[in-house]
Amino acid sequence: MVFDRVEVKGLVKVYGATRALGGVDATFRAGQVTVIEGPNGSGKSTLLNILAQLVRPSRGEVRYGDTGVRRGSELRSAIGILAHAAMTYPDLSARENLALFARLYEIEHAAKVIDGLVERFEIGRWGERPARTYSRGQLQRLALARALMHSPQLLLLDEPSTGLDVRGVERLVVTVEAERERGAIVVLITHDPELAERLADSVLPLDRGKVAPS
Amino acid sequence: MLRGTWAILEKELRVEIRTKEILVTAGLFGLLVTVLTSLAFFLDDATARRLAPGVLWVGASFAGVLAMGRSWAREREADAIRGLLLAPVPRAAIYLGKMLGTWVFVMAIDFVLLPVVAILFRVELGEELLSAAVILVLGMTGYVAMGTLFAAMSVRTRARDLMLSVVLFPLSSPGLVAGVVATREVLGGAPLGETLEWLRILLAFDLVAIVSGLVLFEPLMSD
Repeated sequence: MVFDRVEVKGLVKVYGATRALGGVDATFRAGQVTVIEGPNGSGKSTLLNILAQLVRPSRGEVRYGDTGVRRGSELRSAIGILAHAAMTYPDLSARENLALFARLYEIEHAAKVIDGLVERFEIGRWGERPARTYSRGQLQRLALARALMHSPQLLLLDEPSTGLDVRGVERLVVTVEAERERGAIVVLITHDPELAERLADSVLPLDRGKVAPS
Repeated sequence: MLRGTWAILEKELRVEIRTKEILVTAGLFGLLVTVLTSLAFFLDDATARRLAPGVLWVGASFAGVLAMGRSWAREREADAIRGLLLAPVPRAAIYLGKMLGTWVFVMAIDFVLLPVVAILFRVELGEELLSAAVILVLGMTGYVAMGTLFAAMSVRTRARDLMLSVVLFPLSSPGLVAGVVATREVLGGAPLGETLEWLRILLAFDLVAIVSGLVLFEPLMSD
């Protein structure tokens, strides 16, 4: 599935008495990195989770390309997410984790794809150990491989640089730039102003659930 | 659907074979309940046999709730559940894979508990025990199906273990009651055929629990 933009219109999300999003309009384009900025509680993660289809909006719509809102498996196969947590299984090795997700994503020639990811993200012999034993940097490499194995059209990054050393951040930047070159729609949440400045093609400032004047 | 279910089931088994965490913790807990009860309530052979069905089901259901909680705790760790929910497989496949995995663990524990209860409570190791095993499989299938759904919900709540126990036991009461009564009948000497009414209740409970899980898992995990 290929789409060149994702649009959100009048997006509202209410949790009980809390209004996490209060009517957000935005467009995220292919080949661009959009950085969502804002203080804690401004609705950044809620917006990201709605884009990822992990949370349903209370009102408003999300359009993936021209054909409007689509839900379900087909659309999820075009979305990749990378966050602070690796979203993998600590008791499985890197290769076992990648093999599991390759099966779930119905990746053809999975073994070859996994070999390519292992090489690209320099997953060495440590990748044979359970992920529980990995350093933060090693976990990030596994998480990158997991998030990108299906070449997602929409790549969502939720504070991916938290806890990384300089090399880890550099690897992240190189990877995100490569994804932008490939034509992916990249949405990044970060509290790191330097990272935001290096990667942002556009900025979406959020404050208390609404788009703030820039 | 089946592809996703199988991949998740295989992952469950692989992790458990590696860690043995659920089988050891839940299994030991079930055994502890059984042994302590046998020491506390043993009077004579006849009384012991009458206590056996209750002890078996208490041990099995308590071990089951532990197994379900632990199975979903694995999904919480490193936020693996988020990766799973984003995968392009029907959400029902995730439910089914998790449910079948937990079912295998619970059955493995129950098939250890059953002969232990039989020995400690002077139950004949013969046809009666086989009938009790059939009833246990039927009862625990619905219980695990129901429990998997609520344990999944507990991933998103703070008082997760409390919530699981508080919600699961009342909602599973039709299956648990039918299971205990049917087991009491067969261990009392009744042939399995005479417990058909209870077996029908158990089958209906299984069906309702599995269908509810398949239908409700997606909306419950979406917000």
